[in-house]
Amino acid sequence: MEDLSKLQPTLHMEDYDVRSAASILASVKEQEERFEQLTRALEEERRNVTLQLERANLPPNPAVSQPLAWQQVVMQEQSPSNATSLAMMQEPQEVVEETVTIEEDPGTPTSHVSVVTSDDGTTRRTETKDMSTNVKVTKMVKTVTTRTVRQVPLGPDGLPLPEGSSPLSSYTDSIDRRYMKNGGERFITPQATSTLTRAYNNSYNDSYCETPESQYIRHYGLHDGYADLTDNYGSLSRGVNFRPPRYPYMPNSYRPENSYTLPIRKDDYGHVAQPQVPMGSSTVDLNRSQPERFQPEPYGLEDDRRSLGPEEEEPYELEPDYSTASRRTLPGTNRGRTHREPLRDVHRVRGYPDDPIEAELIDERHPYIHGMYSAPLAQPERGSMASLDRMAGRRSPSIDSIRKDPRWRDPDLPEVIAMLGHPIDPVKSNAAAYLQHLCYENDKIKKDVRQLKGIPVLVGLLDHPKSEVHRKACGALRNISYGKDNENKVAIKNCDGIPALIRLLRKTNDMEVRELITGTLWNLSSYEPLKMVIINHGLQTMTNEVIIPHSGWEHEPNEDSKPRDAEWTTVFKNTSGCLRNVSSDGAEARRRLRECDGLVDALLHALQSAVGKKDMDNKSVENCVCIMRNLSYHVHKEVPGAERFQDPSALQAPGSAGPQRKKKDDAGCFGGKKAKGRKNGENDKNYDTLDLPKRTEPSKGFELLYQPEVVRLYLSLLTESQNYNTLEAAAGALQNLSAGQWTWSNYIRATVRKEKGLPILVELLRSDSDKVVRAVAIALRNLSIDRRNKDLIGSYAMRDLVSNLPSGQQRPAKNLEEDTVVAILNTIHEIVTDSSENARSLVQAQAIEKLVAINRTSQSARETKAASHVLQTVWSYKELRNALTKDGWNKSHFQPAVTATPKATKNGKPGYDDTTLPLMEKNQDGYSTIDQRDKECKYKADDGSADLTEREPLKNDTNRKHYIRSNRPAVSLVDACDVKPQPVDSWV
Amino acid sequence: MSFVPGKPVTAVVQKIEIQKLRQGDNLILGFSIGGGIDQDPGQNPFSEDKSDKGIYVTRITPGGPAEVADLRVGDKIMQVNGWDMTVVTHDQARKKLTKKKEEVVRLLITRKSLEEAVKHSKGCHPRQ
Repeated sequence: MEDLSKLQPTLHMEDYDVRSAASILASVKEQEERFEQLTRALEEERRNVTLQLERANLPPNPAVSQPLAWQQVVMQEQSPSNATSLAMMQEPQEVVEETVTIEEDPGTPTSHVSVVTSDDGTTRRTETKDMSTNVKVTKMVKTVTTRTVRQVPLGPDGLPLPEGSSPLSSYTDSIDRRYMKNGGERFITPQATSTLTRAYNNSYNDSYCETPESQYIRHYGLHDGYADLTDNYGSLSRGVNFRPPRYPYMPNSYRPENSYTLPIRKDDYGHVAQPQVPMGSSTVDLNRSQPERFQPEPYGLEDDRRSLGPEEEEPYELEPDYSTASRRTLPGTNRGRTHREPLRDVHRVRGYPDDPIEAELIDERHPYIHGMYSAPLAQPERGSMASLDRMAGRRSPSIDSIRKDPRWRDPDLPEVIAMLGHPIDPVKSNAAAYLQHLCYENDKIKKDVRQLKGIPVLVGLLDHPKSEVHRKACGALRNISYGKDNENKVAIKNCDGIPALIRLLRKTNDMEVRELITGTLWNLSSYEPLKMVIINHGLQTMTNEVIIPHSGWEHEPNEDSKPRDAEWTTVFKNTSGCLRNVSSDGAEARRRLRECDGLVDALLHALQSAVGKKDMDNKSVENCVCIMRNLSYHVHKEVPGAERFQDPSALQAPGSAGPQRKKKDDAGCFGGKKAKGRKNGENDKNYDTLDLPKRTEPSKGFELLYQPEVVRLYLSLLTESQNYNTLEAAAGALQNLSAGQWTWSNYIRATVRKEKGLPILVELLRSDSDKVVRAVAIALRNLSIDRRNKDLIGSYAMRDLVSNLPSGQQRPAKNLEEDTVVAILNTIHEIVTDSSENARSLVQAQAIEKLVAINRTSQSARETKAASHVLQTVWSYKELRNALTKDGWNKSHFQPAVTATPKATKNGKPGYDDTTLPLMEKNQDGYSTIDQRDKECKYKADDGSADLTEREPLKNDTNRKHYIRSNRPAVSLVDACDVKPQPVDSWV
Repeated sequence: MSFVPGKPVTAVVQKIEIQKLRQGDNLILGFSIGGGIDQDPGQNPFSEDKSDKGIYVTRITPGGPAEVADLRVGDKIMQVNGWDMTVVTHDQARKKLTKKKEEVVRLLITRKSLEEAVKHSKGCHPRQ
């Protein structure tokens, strides 16, 4: 049972223009010499192995039978053609002669390198082609020698051999595989050819969609199964594939390995912090060695990954290898591209471990690495997943057959966490990737990782220079940070994970890493105590690195270039989600966000771009609108210089002083309009000539939040978006902006009317979404601070408001929440206050029955109270009492139900729920609480007909009434809400 | 697609035939219309020319007969069963579409993409 040595030098090709032909030639020669040296060493190694095998006094084919058994299993799993494969495997193979054609790009001259290795140890190598090919040949040779370094010399027991005894045959063999894979289809030996074919066939049958490459490799592992080093071959062959990209790092990663290679073997990897039972015992005999091989599976995965040249540019989350691998096997451009990177790497380390002896020294690897190569190759992807699965208590059926072998096991959690601190980078990144997988939707594991102190290690890896490592660490942290267990989030924060994430965000340009970082931050931002931390460390960075660039906004727009649209990337979505969360952390958070340079500008730009493109339903838009809404909360109190804009009339009327003042005013005024409009009338009157504060320069930053221009944006969103959250947030923004008594909210309220926003809002009262209805109702209430708005809303929104109320015990179809019902009642209260006209509308809308029912029977004290307020207000209009009595109502119906006393009514603001800050504006300035007596006065004053100018067109427009009536009634209310007919929309 | 009532109209039109769906007593088409000469054309979000008082498709019920027939939001309805729809009130349009005795409605519609497709195929630039 001898293994066959096959030498397969070349891996990659690329144009090397830099180097002169002469140096290339020299190099070729030099390499050839080494090559021969190697070959000799290899042959010696082979004999060595054989000897050892014999000495081991094992049954005739112990090493063979063992791997064979395993491989059979694998074959069964993956391919219906396993029978043939096995047959092949058992055929003795004396000589393998392979010719490999390497193709770079289509159209590039190909180079042919044949290597013939007989079992007598001689190796012939032929090169063909022109000068440019020579360049390639050079590289091939180089690759080989370099590769040597990376090989794990394995003894018959599957363990790394002491230096000098490494079975070089194993790696040469693997090289060979690699070569075939790359090179393709030309095989001199029929056997090899058939093998290859079969391998490719397998790939089609494979349920896991493995790429031909992995299939191929696996197959080779099988193919060699009758040799002693079966699975080593397989692994090595795979290892070969990923060698090149690693080179730049080799010098670093090798040193530590060398230093402890031998001890490891003897003392069971004692340097690894966590116990590794099976590995330790595996040295004892052949059988036991198997678990070890299997164990580090994920490293094998990782290794695959590293093989991929373009991986650096095109990251993949979990299965990069496979996609890339398939690319590699494809002829053509992809392939050329794939090869570029590795070659560059080869060049860089050129000459490093050329000496075979040195190479062997270096070859002594940590068992993890060793294991990496011997991981079951059959299914690189599933393999790693499977091992993970097992740990997580799940199983992948595909590898169950392997699983049943008790000698194989996955690393346990402490081991994996220990591996995070492993000196070898791929081990780190694999461990991190493994953790990410384990933590996926598994709160128990997340907790365990935390308790095993894995989080600080992962955070530490964020600063690792290698993208592979920090990417995987970040992926693990993202999964760990997800979920209800805030302890995990706190743990990340406690080891300075947030600044580390932000640092990495500044550093990396890798989109995938950025997605992971921002995703992690988004997760973290959901926990209140971390919000300020995120703001402190990351606000400006997130704004500068993500929000601004992806929003399309430019600080100083280039006049030549067209304004850019926002890009709804995942990174943007994540970051805006994070900011959305942190923006709800109170006044200080809002202040920081408002004053964050460029943030508001960029968000507005993004939203405008969304409106422009009619792309308003996505999550990023939702996040942006939510941030805007939150930042709009209390602008009139919180923005710098807000006091300059305070409405003087409002300042005079804090709290309950308002009604008093109004009462006096009423007494002294002739016209109802002026009197009742004390609060708003002046603004109304002036509106058409309303002077917006003059600006010498365009507003920017937080000023943009409350400029009347934003009204149109929010209204567009309210009109067009189908996303309830966006609708709610846009309505909430208007609600926030129209609250308060300062100049800007006056403008906003008037602008909403001017921009025909009232019908849009009223239409949304019919939304199926509870929270949309609520936000809209409250917005309407704030808008009705503006007198004209109040009249319009009273006339045209009443029916929709009332229809949202539950009738008695029976809830309406929508079954709105208590909060919403209370909000609607409060809005109704607001619009019937000071307006007998509106109260009349309310009565006409058949609201009294519902209100009485709520007042008497509602289970909710808040609803009862709010309904009671409305009823009292209605009853206060004496001129309505006749009509009410005719309808069968009497005073008792309008009395507060048992609990609510009139006194309470007077002072209490009717149940304005402020708990969901900053969603809604707190009721302030007492506008919603009105003394009843006041109301009567108001009403009388009102009776003269103010606002003729505004209402008249509506009343005169009989034509519109006509067509309105012909449509569904609901629509008509919207239509008539403003001077111009609103768009009618009829279902047909 | 600019259109002035009373002037000849040139438009690329597509025929769309919608089989009404019976829902209880009603026959429905599964879309909604907006516009009409009695409506404010400036508020029509679909028209290119904001003075266009034509009838436009504003919403479509997913899976409804109109969607099945490939009617699309924003389509301008030129004719309904041969009746002109470019100079009608909103309600007239609605009535023409909802005649109880008709189970099938044949529409002539025009949409921007149609015009553009034709223009491209002719190889000339869209006229402004």
